[in-house]
Amino acid sequence: MTREEIRSEIIAICSREFEMENPDPEDDLREKFGFDSIDGIELLIQIEKMLQTELTQEEKKQSLNIRTINQVCDYIETIMKAREG
Amino acid sequence: MCLPITRAHTQVRPYNLDKKEKPNKRVDTIMPRRVVITACSAITPIGRTKSELMHSLTCGISGVKPLREDELLTSYLHSKVFGTIDYPIEYDFPRQFRKTMGPVAYYACQVAKEVLEASGLSQEFITSGRLGVAFGSTHGSPTVQRNIYKTFFDKSSTRYAAIGAVDYLRSMVHTTAVNITRMFGITGRVISSSTACTTSSQSIGYGYESIKFGMQDAMICGAADEYSTTTVAVFDNLLACSTGFNDSPSRTPRPFDEDRDGLVVGEGAGAVLLEEYECAKKRGATILGEVIGFACNNNGGDLILPNLAGITQTIQLGLQDAAVNAGDVDFVSAHATGTKMGDIIEAQAIYDVYGNRPLVTGFKGYMGHTMATCGVIETIITLHLMAEGCIAPTLNLETVDERCAMINHVMQLREQKMSIASIQNFAFGGVNTNIILKKPE
Repeated sequence: MTREEIRSEIIAICSREFEMENPDPEDDLREKFGFDSIDGIELLIQIEKMLQTELTQEEKKQSLNIRTINQVCDYIETIMKAREG
Repeated sequence: MCLPITRAHTQVRPYNLDKKEKPNKRVDTIMPRRVVITACSAITPIGRTKSELMHSLTCGISGVKPLREDELLTSYLHSKVFGTIDYPIEYDFPRQFRKTMGPVAYYACQVAKEVLEASGLSQEFITSGRLGVAFGSTHGSPTVQRNIYKTFFDKSSTRYAAIGAVDYLRSMVHTTAVNITRMFGITGRVISSSTACTTSSQSIGYGYESIKFGMQDAMICGAADEYSTTTVAVFDNLLACSTGFNDSPSRTPRPFDEDRDGLVVGEGAGAVLLEEYECAKKRGATILGEVIGFACNNNGGDLILPNLAGITQTIQLGLQDAAVNAGDVDFVSAHATGTKMGDIIEAQAIYDVYGNRPLVTGFKGYMGHTMATCGVIETIITLHLMAEGCIAPTLNLETVDERCAMINHVMQLREQKMSIASIQNFAFGGVNTNIILKKPE
């Protein structure tokens, strides 16, 4: 997946699953959309489905400080690289 | 003529504990406070609003329909009828609240919302800690639980798609109570009974005691139960479900009728707002009724069979708590599920305590047994009838079983003022409750 495809898919998930209207990749999801830790766990499940892979506990912990869609994309690219390696 | 009823012979012998010295008890002097009902809301198979409920009650309309297909259990069930909510409900809960709700919590939050809206309570009071919640369900959300198990046993799925982060919050047994506290920012005490058919009557009873003894100034009390074929299967396996009216659902259940053949499971929700009398009066709240007594006990043995001694004692304890005599009670809302044995024992218990003076109706004839919710729905219906000065008959009671004939059954709609009413409920587990209501002055 390209960076643009990842971002497009994450924006689609944010709209579909978390009912965000027109999220900007640099929006602080917590501040603007009330995205909380429970939502974060739900998003990880969506990412697992999207990548068809199971995240490890360590990988999940690395996601805890993510605040923006661009950071979600960075995180996914890191996971993908680790899987390729 | 009535047949003698003896205490169930299967009564188990209690486990024998060595008697030990009793600890000292602290004795506080408590001045009990009066508790009134100032708002109510219901979602039932026979309607939601007071006018809808009164229409169904006065026109003899049943909410029992063919059991909906669940693609899992329905084909194995012998009972094909269900007390059904088949009208749309428009929920306007923002996603941040919806995300922790299963169907049962939707029901619960909707009736809680309507109760708070009707109450006129200020946001400051609602979040002050002086308002608590007593709310339960039979077993949380079976729909969500079923989806979890489906994922476990579905060999095609992989682990990463298994359980959602909030599946537990949606399905847990106290999901109704805490979704209500979350949605409205309520910070008072939480009581979440889960005692099957006495769940909501316990909610009302324990809410009443919380206010009466000064722990809270107001309580939202009730229960909800969603569509669940698991519950139908439980009673179906015990041969306790109605099976003879699958082609004519509105003719069952038939409380106290000689042709009754078992209970009908249903779904629903109900909530009442209880308030300390002086607070309610001071703020000019509409008082729908007063809770003047409550009792709850256990049969102390068998977990399924109805027990004459236990039920009789609950009725008497309720009267004692209310400080009224049996002769003061005008109306009894019977638990009356339509089972062969339960109705006979209940009729006998009513007769033993009250004789044949009070009028008796079993409201489950209209909607089946809404399980956790029945106590609060029957309380709300009784409040409406109290206000309207009439009493609805037991639907489907055409020929009274002679073993239930010793009490004063309501066979047709009648104009009748009532001042004091009893709502009695009995549950699996041997739990019995009795709520005593009084018409506002």
